[in-house]
Amino acid sequence: MSVAEVLEKPAAEVPAAKPEKRKILLSVEHVSLSFGGVKAIQDISFDIEKGEIRAIIGPNGAGKTSMLNVINGFYHPQQGKITFEGKNRDKMRPYIAASQGIARTFQNVALFKGMTTLDNIMSGRTLKMRSSFFWHLFHAGAARSEELKNREFVEHIIDFLEIEHIRKTPVGRLAYGLQKRVELGRALAMEPELLLLDEPMAGMNLEEKEDMSRFILDVRQEFGTTIALIEHDMGVVMDLSDRVVVLDYGKKIADGVPEEVQKNQDVIDAYLGVPH
Amino acid sequence: MEILYNIFIDPFVQMVVLPDFFLQVIWEGFVAGVLYALIALGFVLIFKASGVFNFAQGIMVVFAALSLVGLTEAGVPVYVSLALCIGIMFLLAYGVERLVLKPLVNQPDIILFMATIGLTFFLIGLGETIFGGEPKTMVTEELGLPTGSTAFDVAGGIVILQHLDIAAATIALMMVALLGFFFSKTRIGRALRAVADSHKAALSVGISLEQIWVIVWFAAGIVALVTGIMWGARSDVSFALQIIAFKALPVLILGGFTSIPGAIVGGLIIGIGEKIGEIYWGPLLGSGIESWLAYLIALVFLLFRPQGLFGEKIIERV
Amino acid sequence: MFYRETGQFKTSYAEDMALFPVIQDRIGIGVILIVAFVAIPLLANDFFIASIMIPFLIFALATVGLNILTGYCGQLSLGTGAFMGVGAYACYKLTTIFPEVNIIVMVLLSGFFAAGIGVVFGLPSLRIKGFYLAVATLAAQFFLEWCFIRIRWLYNYNDSGAIETVDHTAFGLVLAGPSAEPLTRYFIVLVIVIAMTWVASNLLRGRFGRQWMMIRDMDIAAELIGVRPLQAKLLAFAVSSFYCGVAGAMMVFFWLGAAEPAAFNINLSFQILFMVILGGLGSIAGCFMGAAFIWILPLIIRTAPLLFGVEISAALVEHIAFMVTGALIIFILIVEPHGLARIWQIIRQKLRVWPFPY
Repeated sequence: MSVAEVLEKPAAEVPAAKPEKRKILLSVEHVSLSFGGVKAIQDISFDIEKGEIRAIIGPNGAGKTSMLNVINGFYHPQQGKITFEGKNRDKMRPYIAASQGIARTFQNVALFKGMTTLDNIMSGRTLKMRSSFFWHLFHAGAARSEELKNREFVEHIIDFLEIEHIRKTPVGRLAYGLQKRVELGRALAMEPELLLLDEPMAGMNLEEKEDMSRFILDVRQEFGTTIALIEHDMGVVMDLSDRVVVLDYGKKIADGVPEEVQKNQDVIDAYLGVPH
Repeated sequence: MEILYNIFIDPFVQMVVLPDFFLQVIWEGFVAGVLYALIALGFVLIFKASGVFNFAQGIMVVFAALSLVGLTEAGVPVYVSLALCIGIMFLLAYGVERLVLKPLVNQPDIILFMATIGLTFFLIGLGETIFGGEPKTMVTEELGLPTGSTAFDVAGGIVILQHLDIAAATIALMMVALLGFFFSKTRIGRALRAVADSHKAALSVGISLEQIWVIVWFAAGIVALVTGIMWGARSDVSFALQIIAFKALPVLILGGFTSIPGAIVGGLIIGIGEKIGEIYWGPLLGSGIESWLAYLIALVFLLFRPQGLFGEKIIERV
Repeated sequence: MFYRETGQFKTSYAEDMALFPVIQDRIGIGVILIVAFVAIPLLANDFFIASIMIPFLIFALATVGLNILTGYCGQLSLGTGAFMGVGAYACYKLTTIFPEVNIIVMVLLSGFFAAGIGVVFGLPSLRIKGFYLAVATLAAQFFLEWCFIRIRWLYNYNDSGAIETVDHTAFGLVLAGPSAEPLTRYFIVLVIVIAMTWVASNLLRGRFGRQWMMIRDMDIAAELIGVRPLQAKLLAFAVSSFYCGVAGAMMVFFWLGAAEPAAFNINLSFQILFMVILGGLGSIAGCFMGAAFIWILPLIIRTAPLLFGVEISAALVEHIAFMVTGALIIFILIVEPHGLARIWQIIRQKLRVWPFPY
């Protein structure tokens, strides 16, 4: 199913949470990426609309994480075009992606292990801070007021994610589920336009998954953030996401609303396995 | 203009005009390179198996050579003292594993690195306490190493090869071949490569980390002993010798920390490059550029190939 | 029991972000400052001040410098000695060119030269990491050491090849040089070290310090969050080298009075690195503990045999000192790899709950 077909769907079929006026935030066109002889992504196109929760699913090794890496500039695709907020972006460094408003969590938690929860989330404010080196020498003036202002914002996120009690704990010592939550907090602190979540619920128990799902929905509601999500738990994907794109062996095999994707024969084959 | 001529043209003119001298320089560089490669090999062995950047390799060379000379001077027959030295290197390997590596298992690399610097200090102190600080002469003749030299007529001049150097190069190459065989074809070699990839996974399939570590440190000790004999025979045996460890470090950057062929090729590049640089370009800068030229070569190289000569291109994942 | 935060509520984020949020810590720092400024000058003799306190403070400052780079930014450097040398030689040249300027100004200015050189040798850090970088910083060490010997302009073409201080006076006092009082030098060094340590801790709790720690803990994630790795790393190299440079300049002008190139050799680099590691990576308080430990330990080892009335030759004592230092370093690493700072933290935790076990 092509993007156009989805867009032409009557509004009634689209989940209610999606805003009426559809605006494309990010579009990926004919992107291919390979490492030596390994073709991680082959000619994939899809788009993400503003305000939606977009799931990317597929079996292991399908190229999902590579896709996220391409979107936030960590890998440079050999072919294809990516537009974000209407601007074309070719070879860009990850920090530029960050400054344009793309935040990210990682499959294997990539927190700053030696720093406290508070510092980790404060680190998400990096791009919001502009005070000069001079004031920082004395921790005074602009440096001090800026630290205070951002601290307040970060405390808001800490409240939101219910992690007040671990504020001063080095994250290396936290349980896995909490680390994932802190990582989400760090991404939120960036006030992103687009939030990329790479398996936010991997290795969690049911209760933690429920918490995390709640946070994801709340994030969209409260901050209006667009979310792209990789997840293996089909229940979660079908419940949370507005639209799903399915990858297999680096190729796109389906794209559409969850109900359609579930019925798609290629998707069923990919998950249950048929001889290729 | 003159300076440009001196840098870009004159050295090459000299190389062409005096080809026999040029060959002599290359040979000297080659021999030095082989010895650098040997020290680098000691580093690589240990780094591969335990991820430890063994700063003490240089002092192990000195310690091994001093033990050999010291024992022989004390009246022990030379071959007996050679055997005793091998025993000492084994004890050292065993001691290091027991007292340093095992208690520090799972610590960050930098802590292990610091521990090997501590070990260096300890060995310097121990060596000086036992053998005294004065330079000693290597027991070259007693060991049956050849002395003297042969002159060859090449390109209208002569190139002089010291027999000792030829022996050094031959023995070094034999050692490398032997180690290569040992680590690729034997059971222990396979275990070693497994340990190099992942300590945990190796443990889980029943490989004894302790055993492997003792073996690689012992192997590095043997390499150190050979290096010490060869290098000691060319100059003399003193604690100043440990600075050759610093020569081996650029070799490691060049060849990669985990590659045995890298250590050898890197050693030769550094050895030859350094000699040529010192002889042909050195006078322009004032002498003594040998101390950093090797690092410069390695750094320039790294800018183009960060993973080293034989390292795989690293695909970073998140 | 004695060290308890209970009842100390913070009512603003500013209070929570203070350098010493706990009142007992503030008292402790006060006591230390009183000892440093009042007790030591009143009670200690010249030997203690000139040969123990001054070098201890100078090494502590260099340790803070290296700790910023290695402990906070995660870039292992073995070129500290050479960067200290750059500071020393820069200060020497500055004082010969502008003899009338106050020596303290010159010492601080020379830090900028070290910072510049540090940035140049920090450039490879963008492409290489870990031990590869450590080896690359050795290039700085050997190259700069060679410069100190070969570039005769640096030591004003004198025959000895060493740099020497003449008397520098200001405010009617001899501040540096052969006839400067140890106490004067002590106070200058003390004030500079305290001020710069305070500045360092300010930097480290702000956005710059955070960026360094991000690079240290996970450079890829840091970049994805918006840190520019090159800028952050080079800044760390610059600040770190600045500190080392000032320490190096003070070493010559307020402590030794003269120095040869060999004073800034690789052994100095290792000495500072030991101080960082034993004190604790990523801890400012640890810098002082590490510096005290490494500087004072050999003195104790040297004097210990005399106390017991045992006569040993000086050379042998030196060798044994080497051995013991090496063994102790390994021992401490095994007992507490996070250094003395962590041991102090554990003691603090114990004090907090005393007399109960937990």
